Amino acid sequence: MANTTKTYKEEQAGYFKVLAGLLLLTALTFIQPTMFMESATFTVQMLIGTVKAWLILMYYMHLKGEKLIITFTYFSLFIVLVFFVIVIGVDVANIQFAELNHITSGDTAHAVSETHGAAHAEPAHH
Amino acid sequence: MSKTYFDETHCAIGHPKSTFMQWMLTIDHKRIGLMYAAVMFTFFFIAVATAMAMRIELFAPGAQIMDGDTFNQAFTLHGVIMVFLFIIPGIPAIFGNIVMPLMIGAKDVSFPRLNWFTFWLYIFGCIIAVSSLWVGNGFADTGWTFYAPYSLNTGTNVIMTLVAAFVLGMASILTGLNFLVTIHRLRAPGMGFFKMPLFVWGIYATAWIQLLATPVVGITLVLAIMEKYFGIGIFDPSKGGDPVLFQHLFWIYSHPAVYLMILPAFGIMSEIIPVFSRREIFGYRTIALSSASIAGIGYIVWGHHLYTSGMADIAKVVFSFLTFFVAVPTGIKFYDWIATMYKGKIILSTPMLWALGTIVTFAIGGLTGVTIAMVGVDIHLQDTYYTVAHFHYAILGGVVFLLFAGMHYWFPLVTGKMYSETKAKIAFWMNFIGFNVLWFPMFIAGYYGMPRRYFDYLPEFEVYHQISFVGAVIFISGLLYMFYVLIQAWRKGEDAGLNPWNATTLEWHMPTSPPPLENHSKVPYVDFDPYEYENGKAKVEFDLETMKRID
Amino acid sequence: MGHEYVPEIAVDREGQEHKVQGWQDDLYGAKLGFWLFMFTEVLMFGAMFMALTYYFTLHHDDFLIASSSLNRVLGGTNTVVLLFSALTMGLGLLKMRHGDVKGAKLMIWATILLALVFLGIKAVEWTAEYHHGVFLGLDALQAGNEHSKPFGQILFFGMYFTMTGIHGFHIIIGIGIMLWLLKRINAGKVTPKHHILHFNIALYWDLVHLIWVFVFPYYYMIGAGLTGGAH
Repeated sequence: MANTTKTYKEEQAGYFKVLAGLLLLTALTFIQPTMFMESATFTVQMLIGTVKAWLILMYYMHLKGEKLIITFTYFSLFIVLVFFVIVIGVDVANIQFAELNHITSGDTAHAVSETHGAAHAEPAHH
Repeated sequence: MSKTYFDETHCAIGHPKSTFMQWMLTIDHKRIGLMYAAVMFTFFFIAVATAMAMRIELFAPGAQIMDGDTFNQAFTLHGVIMVFLFIIPGIPAIFGNIVMPLMIGAKDVSFPRLNWFTFWLYIFGCIIAVSSLWVGNGFADTGWTFYAPYSLNTGTNVIMTLVAAFVLGMASILTGLNFLVTIHRLRAPGMGFFKMPLFVWGIYATAWIQLLATPVVGITLVLAIMEKYFGIGIFDPSKGGDPVLFQHLFWIYSHPAVYLMILPAFGIMSEIIPVFSRREIFGYRTIALSSASIAGIGYIVWGHHLYTSGMADIAKVVFSFLTFFVAVPTGIKFYDWIATMYKGKIILSTPMLWALGTIVTFAIGGLTGVTIAMVGVDIHLQDTYYTVAHFHYAILGGVVFLLFAGMHYWFPLVTGKMYSETKAKIAFWMNFIGFNVLWFPMFIAGYYGMPRRYFDYLPEFEVYHQISFVGAVIFISGLLYMFYVLIQAWRKGEDAGLNPWNATTLEWHMPTSPPPLENHSKVPYVDFDPYEYENGKAKVEFDLETMKRID
Repeated sequence: MGHEYVPEIAVDREGQEHKVQGWQDDLYGAKLGFWLFMFTEVLMFGAMFMALTYYFTLHHDDFLIASSSLNRVLGGTNTVVLLFSALTMGLGLLKMRHGDVKGAKLMIWATILLALVFLGIKAVEWTAEYHHGVFLGLDALQAGNEHSKPFGQILFFGMYFTMTGIHGFHIIIGIGIMLWLLKRINAGKVTPKHHILHFNIALYWDLVHLIWVFVFPYYYMIGAGLTGGAH
């Protein structure tokens, strides 16, 4: 297999180093929402997650030594997912008739009966 | 008499003595492909019968033989069987299994036991789908697209059908996975990617779609089940959920799914045209790469199914723009095929007739697709008979016709027998004429406003339905006759010999007809292109016992 | 079985010999096949994340409120538990590769134990939520009654139970296949020379961990700034 050139001790040390990195990043995840960059919590959390994921994929899952086909597929998959998010993001960000739209106008389920009548009065027609 | 794959087989568990158990437990790709064919065509005819019932119902306005609710269940049943049980397993399950390993010089697929498991997973999915006919409140009545919120509110067996579709999706994923690894790992020495036959390219591109698109619909169906059963809220407007999200998620798979259907079919076309034009295919690389680009671009056009759903206008424009691009690689293929036929010695055998017929019908199907890719036009034609005619011309007139072409082309390989050429040609014409009489009037009816999935209609549309009915009768007779001809040939036909079409690809260089269990006697070294012809004769010749070239 | 497979040789026109790759004994093929399977899992969870992001965009504030009400102590503990289980799984594979079959089995048992701890803590979490009236089918997550939560929170919790539920289901399957792996090792079918099954199961477990790496911050941490830390 790919990593038999390293000794047992070296490989084991590698595993523990990655563990330390992952634990550190987990601690970072916990302190971030109250300590730094609070306004961008979501982005920072996802970034930390991505770094953790990269460490796991490269070292625990041995992707570092594998032939290109696997890495290539992984990255193209990532691009596909990003595309889906972008296109649906375009749709959501430009949601039309938001005031008349039942799911974006009434903020609580209580308001179902009241806003229902109003939304139905004017059909959303061009 | 040397042994063929009908005489002996490898099994998943043990060494059964009975023929029945040998078929039930076989891991041989050729037998598995045949079993898929038997089951799939059974379901195909059930769905055709359902369609005939609908055509009878629609012969005149008002109720004829069923009420509105039953009609809804009928078109759902027709759609679910045709899409999930027949056309999506489709050509990969039959010819991908039987022929693809032979074409690359392999002894089987990469994971034969997984292949066996996948077949029985498929059967399991079929059983669940069909059982929902007799359980509870009857078969689902939502259409095969299961749109929320109706699918959440209806009392019919939607959950069972969703579970069935999920299981069938898993089978599709595992087939794609198996084929991907097979094509990457088991090609004969010397066969680089650009020496593979184009059918293998088609299967390869299809396998990527099977692998990467199906999980999305899998989880969508799971989410729909969670919504219906637990009320999690994501598709339910009364909890703030958005039904359009269901449509997005559903079509992110279902649009690539149609490319999953057509790419193997185009692969079959690319096999048949060179053989019956006695010429090398024109533009091998462009056809190969166009398969890959259709698969790729096909992922980013799903929104054209959502033009009238309430999606944002910007998104509609983006999707329309992208959809026009996906027609380009298909056009390239068509030009390449026609260029192959130019100055070739055309032999109008039945497989070639089916291929040429498909060029006509798929051209119509594809071009009408481009017309409704335009947002402005689609606002009027969405959910009318125009759309229905479009996708039947594309899927039935494209995929299924090429499946039939493949059946006639590889019939001598699989069975060792040859069918009656005259009768097969009559069957083709019955099918072709019936098909066009059945579906073409629907373009016109849809243009004038006949809505789809409607049980009743205004009297002005009656004439179109009546013409379609006549077409349906001719078409179904053609289908039945075609199967009769093939089955009779298998039972009592004359022996076909080893390579009756004088084709060049590896699957025809078998020591016996039908092939033996272990396929080629020895794996050849491939230092030739797949379609080498010289003056109408196949260039490469093999000594079939040693698989050494003797040309 | 596959281990005694002798590959065929193909000879070209110059007389050179080429080894034919058969379907048996194909290590790279087995790895490739399993990676491809894992991509399908990533796509499944990816689609769920996409649906989640869709509603996060539509109901931003409600999502933060709902997120802040989750138990970060239990969730965080689970994160660390799963992290260590990934370590034990990796160490088990390492030991197997270097011939220490006994040590490998011990590590697999350790992984199973940690997985059970994870499930236990999840059960405690879900029970607590149930007792707070927040659970699938209960009033708070239904529409139109006096306990109904706002849209965004209903959607958040709906997806929360769905995704952590499906993730937990994958953990249960993981425990199952690890037990099966132990059986195969005991039967001598998985050895230091042929342990692709162990390798693939380790990959599976890493994938399960990978999914949690994104599930945890997305559900538990986005609203952490609201209440100022753990419950």
